[in-house]
Amino acid sequence: MYVIVVYDVDVKRVARVHRFLRTHLHWRQNSVFEGEVSRAQLYEIKRTLEDIVENGDSVLIYELPDGRFNLHVIGVDKSPAGEII
Amino acid sequence: MKRPVYITQMGVLERRGNTLFLENENGKRAIPINSTSEIHCFKPVSLTSGAIKLLSEKNVPVHFYNKYGYYRGSYMPVEGQVSGTVVVKQAEHYLDTEKRLYIARQFLEGIKASMIALLSSRRAERSTIEGTEVEGDSPAELMGVESRLWKEFYSTYATLLKHFEFDERNRRPPRDEVNALISLGNSVLYTVALSEIRKTYLHPAISYLHEPLERRYSLALDLADIFKPITVFRVILRLVNRRQIREEHFSRDVGVMLNREGLKVFLGELNSELDRKVLHPRFKRKVSVRYMVRLEGYSLVKHLLGDRRYQSLRAWW
Repeated sequence: MYVIVVYDVDVKRVARVHRFLRTHLHWRQNSVFEGEVSRAQLYEIKRTLEDIVENGDSVLIYELPDGRFNLHVIGVDKSPAGEII
Repeated sequence: MKRPVYITQMGVLERRGNTLFLENENGKRAIPINSTSEIHCFKPVSLTSGAIKLLSEKNVPVHFYNKYGYYRGSYMPVEGQVSGTVVVKQAEHYLDTEKRLYIARQFLEGIKASMIALLSSRRAERSTIEGTEVEGDSPAELMGVESRLWKEFYSTYATLLKHFEFDERNRRPPRDEVNALISLGNSVLYTVALSEIRKTYLHPAISYLHEPLERRYSLALDLADIFKPITVFRVILRLVNRRQIREEHFSRDVGVMLNREGLKVFLGELNSELDRKVLHPRFKRKVSVRYMVRLEGYSLVKHLLGDRRYQSLRAWW
């Protein structure tokens, strides 16, 4: 399934969340990751993030059926996600 | 679903904090290692020992190609699936001529069916291929039938291409644009077949239609051939006729090769064709073309173990 993860966490934990998410997903821009993951991977992502976040932190995971969505970019596309580098 | 990563620029793969990075003068780019099935490198890429350690832990192979798109080798993590029984059976079916011919003939029927599937989707002339009998008393004779099929296929295929000349298949290096595309596509398909075979218990070096030789995994050649017409050739036809691949996507020295822009277009399209899901009549669910390569492997294992006779793929889409 295709997911978009958006997070707003305390600056002390930003780097940890970033470091963890980039092993599973493509970095899109600050505090935004996206990519195709399996159900098991999504479960692991959720579990690990639950361990990292503390009071006041917020992480949103959008699950997109079939990865079908339209993207409108205004300004620069900092890091286009994709398998061809 | 894990996905392959295609690298079309020079760089160094290294490990930083449990992530794999491609680093070069354009900057750093993280590769989500947990979501990666394999990495294909089309430009010189170096691997640090840290990267190799991470790739081994996550069981991600890295395949290398030269500038003309020929397969040069792989970094393969330690073998995951090992079964002595299957390898012994594989050898037995190779050594017994009757048994070998059965499997080789199945492979050939699969190739023929795929050719017909592609040509009929384009309403092209296919009676000669349909009329070609898959007969032969030795593997060499079957290889002869195969080369006749390909020759016939190429000549019809040439008439379907609206741009670029394609008179004959030539290689090492390819001398025209279409040959460059075919060479690159075949190499990628070969490594895909290899990656999928490694997920089964099969030994990739014991083959049936191709003669097993030194220094290559010929079972991957056997399986890749079944899928060539419906993946590589289908994608080339689409890209050329829609003018998505044009003259400016190639460069030329001794041979013809795709430049970086061309590589991106071609690999993107080939990858999505491999990801394409079609309804599987027996499973009653949709499976990707790439997964069907592995299914061929599984049916072969069943055949070797005597569970169910192997019937190669008859492409229907």
